[in-house]
Amino acid sequence: MSIDRRSFIAGTAAVAAQFGFASRVYAEDKIVRFTIAQDFTRIYTFVTSEYNQGQRDYFALVNERGGVGGYKIVADVTDHANDLPRAIEAYERGKREGAVLIDPLSTPVARALVPRALEDKINMITAYSGRSDAADGTAFPYVLPLSINYWTQAGLIIENFKKTEKGSLKGKKIVFVHIDTPFGKEPLSILQVLAQKEGFELLTFPYTPPGNDQSAIWPQVRRARPDFVIFWGAGVGQTVALTEAIRNGLPMDRVSSSVWLSESDMDVVGRDAAKGVMKVEPCVGGREPKIIKDILAEVVGKGKGAGPEAKVGTAYYNYGVQMGALMVEGVRLAAAKAPNGPVTGPWLNDGLRSITNFTAEGLLPPTTVTREDHQGGGMGRISRWDGAKFVPVTDWFSANQDVVWGEIKKNSETFKTTGK
Amino acid sequence: MFYRRAGIRHTRYQDERQLFPLAFDRGLILTVLAVLLAAPILFDRLWLTGYLLPWLIWTSAALGLNLLMGWAGQIHLGYGAVMGIGAYTGVHLVRFGVPLEIAMIAGGIMSAGIGTVFGAAALRMKGIYLAMATLAMQFIVDFVISHNAAISGGTLATLQVPSVRFLGVPLTSDWATYYFALFVCFVITLFMLNVKRTSFGRALAALREKDYAAQILGVSTFRYKLMAFWVSSFIGGVVGTVLAVAYLRAVSPDQFHLELSIQILAMIIVGGLGSVLGPFFGTALILFAPIVLNNMLGSVAATFGLDLPIDMRAHLPLLAYGLLVIGFLLYEPLGLAKLYANFRNYMLVWPFRHAQR
Repeated sequence: MSIDRRSFIAGTAAVAAQFGFASRVYAEDKIVRFTIAQDFTRIYTFVTSEYNQGQRDYFALVNERGGVGGYKIVADVTDHANDLPRAIEAYERGKREGAVLIDPLSTPVARALVPRALEDKINMITAYSGRSDAADGTAFPYVLPLSINYWTQAGLIIENFKKTEKGSLKGKKIVFVHIDTPFGKEPLSILQVLAQKEGFELLTFPYTPPGNDQSAIWPQVRRARPDFVIFWGAGVGQTVALTEAIRNGLPMDRVSSSVWLSESDMDVVGRDAAKGVMKVEPCVGGREPKIIKDILAEVVGKGKGAGPEAKVGTAYYNYGVQMGALMVEGVRLAAAKAPNGPVTGPWLNDGLRSITNFTAEGLLPPTTVTREDHQGGGMGRISRWDGAKFVPVTDWFSANQDVVWGEIKKNSETFKTTGK
Repeated sequence: MFYRRAGIRHTRYQDERQLFPLAFDRGLILTVLAVLLAAPILFDRLWLTGYLLPWLIWTSAALGLNLLMGWAGQIHLGYGAVMGIGAYTGVHLVRFGVPLEIAMIAGGIMSAGIGTVFGAAALRMKGIYLAMATLAMQFIVDFVISHNAAISGGTLATLQVPSVRFLGVPLTSDWATYYFALFVCFVITLFMLNVKRTSFGRALAALREKDYAAQILGVSTFRYKLMAFWVSSFIGGVVGTVLAVAYLRAVSPDQFHLELSIQILAMIIVGGLGSVLGPFFGTALILFAPIVLNNMLGSVAATFGLDLPIDMRAHLPLLAYGLLVIGFLLYEPLGLAKLYANFRNYMLVWPFRHAQR
């Protein structure tokens, strides 16, 4: 059978018209629009795809159940490749289309977007990225980390080490191996303060980005005979760091990382070899939490999942669900306060900043976001890799928040006075 | 047809000496300028701040690099660092309360000074070796900036740009920043258009073709190589400040990495080495092809209900973009400007096929 040009065009037009009609029906629903512009191609790659998959699966779950507070969630997903012109374009386009929230998942992009988001009153989610001092809601009303920032993570790790050493780190040697970028150096200030306070010796070993080769650093780490090791990076640097730590025979049960460690990293390193390594967990991993089970039944089970089923329940996937759940909780609270909108940045901001004791049915530690505290309370836990999954070694806890908030205030005050 | 070149001969020296001897070219330039001037009224905010503003700023930067690579033939892989030096100098001065006009120039001078020191390597080496030397500059500058809390701005390594004024106009609204960038781009373009007609420009061209031949002809390679680095780094520094003030509004070391250098290099290669028009085309292609392809794919997928995995959607435009660049290098290595020149040359004598010599 051959198709002539006329019937091809007519057919295409008919199909297009149908879809046009379908989307118009959809447009009659009350919607809340999110701009999900993240880096899928340049640096974070698989980290982003898993995080993003979790987010979209959660939004699908919410929409399947008829939305929240009468609103459906529309998430426009694009790739900004960690490139500022592309990210700013995506931001501006989202703003034009009425997006009230953007989640760039990139430290450089978030830092460049801060002035715009504050000025345009668009909620920017900077989970595990951006400026740590954005936890101060009085200085950054529209920048919302909604998660434990890197300073808190460092504080939690040190606190756990202290517990391992039965309450005192005096005279111990802690090595901090980090990627030599602003993101990698961020925890340094906290660690230095804690070193003074707790009396341990802090040694730092920076490696050059992107961290493909760290073979020069780790023998030095070994020679320093540390009591504990913290390694800090994201993406490729993490797997290389872990591989080198194993090769140099460092005891894995005294090595810890930030939130950036997942099952996918372990597949690269070798699941058995990495047994014992610790990380900070901001939410429950695995498929046990009720939300993940619901997603498996109601979204993935119906063939509507955003990605491969095997990734459901991995660490980064659950971070994505965590953030999706917090955003949607914000929408729910905003809709409860002002059911008829109008859907604007300040409208959603009101909701996001009044999240109280939210646990997403057991996925998160109790999270409370207020107008002052955008970090959500600063609770996390440490978990240990047992060769197949991360097993929590502590309960949800919060530590060294006085030091962390001291640093937050110091930086946000500078922003307040010189930034405007 | 449009250009009406056939049969027109200049009868006065000043006619021939004009920047654009053809009436049509002048009309075209004026039309484009008029559209650019009216852009804040004609286009909406997304177009203004999402496309036109970065286009103007990156084009200005590419023009500066083109002076060095296209005209003087000196390879430079550290232009992003040059812009970074300018941006940091400018922003620090602005934060100290120095007026933007002076901060811009100071940023330019600082970049020119440091850029020339590294450019002095060009006196001893050429080609791939010079590329390595300038690459070293990129990494050294990156390192110095990110390791000096005094430069990069403390633990968070971000410097906010305070609100500034340019010639009395506060650069807060979209149109003000846009006109500011347009003004800078206009001045740089005008300068570049005139450079090739000066003895400086001709000396650079001689250098590019063969530096020792140029030396024999009486062009001081020492002087002109340094001058080329000085001028181009100065432009880079000024544009760095403009980039920080008008576009980024917060500078951090991540913004001036090797990627920026490569991006600008790609712009002038795709656009056309040694032309003024080239960077305008090249910038548009390099900056916007990924965005446009991405959006197109997204809307096609949305309209036809295709369930493209997001990873695929993110990578397909990259593939297409790579093919586009390879295609250009294969079929038109002189870049987009040459494509336009071909069209123009054809139209100059249309309906005849060949111009009389």
